[in-house]
Amino acid sequence: MKQLTDEEIMLAIANGKIEMLSILFDKYNLRIYNYFNKMVQNKMVSEDLTQDVFIKVIKYRTSYKNGNFAAWIYTIARNIFSSYYQKTKKERTNEIDDDKLNASENLVSESNQEEIEHLQKALLKLSNSDRELIVMHRFQEIKYEQIAQIIGSTENAVKVKVHRALKKLKEIYFQK
Amino acid sequence: MKCKEIENHLGEYLEGTLSDTINSEIENHINSCSNCQQELAELKSFLSILDHDKMETPSANLKLNFDKMLAKEIEENKPKVIELKTHTDWKTYLRIAASVVIVLSAFLLGKYQSNSLPTNEKNTAQVLALLENSSASKRILAVTNAEEFTNKDTKIIEALINRLFFDKNTNVRLAAAEALSKFSEETIVRDAFIKSLETDTNTSVQIEVIQILSKIQEKRAIKPMQKLLEKEETPQYVKQQLQLNLSTLL
Repeated sequence: MKQLTDEEIMLAIANGKIEMLSILFDKYNLRIYNYFNKMVQNKMVSEDLTQDVFIKVIKYRTSYKNGNFAAWIYTIARNIFSSYYQKTKKERTNEIDDDKLNASENLVSESNQEEIEHLQKALLKLSNSDRELIVMHRFQEIKYEQIAQIIGSTENAVKVKVHRALKKLKEIYFQK
Repeated sequence: MKCKEIENHLGEYLEGTLSDTINSEIENHINSCSNCQQELAELKSFLSILDHDKMETPSANLKLNFDKMLAKEIEENKPKVIELKTHTDWKTYLRIAASVVIVLSAFLLGKYQSNSLPTNEKNTAQVLALLENSSASKRILAVTNAEEFTNKDTKIIEALINRLFFDKNTNVRLAAAEALSKFSEETIVRDAFIKSLETDTNTSVQIEVIQILSKIQEKRAIKPMQKLLEKEETPQYVKQQLQLNLSTLL
């Protein structure tokens, strides 16, 4: 059997072969989970949101129309993040404190732990859209072209935005 | 290019995604501008910090919950039974009525015709033929049908005994044993059971025959049973059956 592309698998799912979703889950859950974990910096919430993404994939499977699958699933993930963000807006000040605690708890205990901890804090200080760009570009290594598809922009605009965001992050990082 | 512009391109410069001309322009500038040199060094070290950050692995719950969710979805998405529309049309009723009449008349015709033949004889012939069928399930069917006959029909009984002794299929032999147990008053049947106990090596058949022999209280079976009990290769569960049933015979 030849290797199916993600797009072919998703089309099969849309046509009723729901069980094939486990292939895509295995391929994407780590990335989607880490996307959320960078955005909200809370493991439990990230797991829940990742689960939500795959529930949505099933629910809206028939609306998938042969486009780039990675872009499609990230679009779903972004929407889920943004509705989660809106929902928790009121309690956000408290949440962020909690998140920071969680984040420092969960980090690998290596020599660069402090560095990474500091980086997480800096990341949280960025705007959602800037943080997201850095997460997608640096941590998830998504190509500019694909990020452009996901956020509905052009490749060049994304390049500029990513570098501006990186610069901001760098400034925040070195401030203290 | 001014420092500000250079700064904006440093990221891409490090990635190596710029065109050669801009690349060399930046290189030239950096060599002569300490500010931008520092900026580049800073960016480099910062990016390496970012690279330290590894992907985290979610807990096993994520996969577990996903599998649960998927199983539920698959269950819910199984093809549903579509109800037929009830279509009231007198033509349909007429058709149904017509088919009922046809079936009924065919049945009555068949009944009347078969009455004119000697049913018993025909059925016996049928069952006998079926007992020799090459399909094991057909033979089992024939054996079951044979039970319906009366004791008098020695042809059937002989055919059943034949099956009990020589059928290759265990299930047919089992069915034959069961059917024969209904005719246990006949001496040939009793003899056949004892013979089968002595010869059949299949444990299911052995157990069935042992049970039948004890049920019909065939004392002559005691000896072959004891012999089987003493045999070393007889499996334990068959021995248990033997002991159990021997006690009812003794």
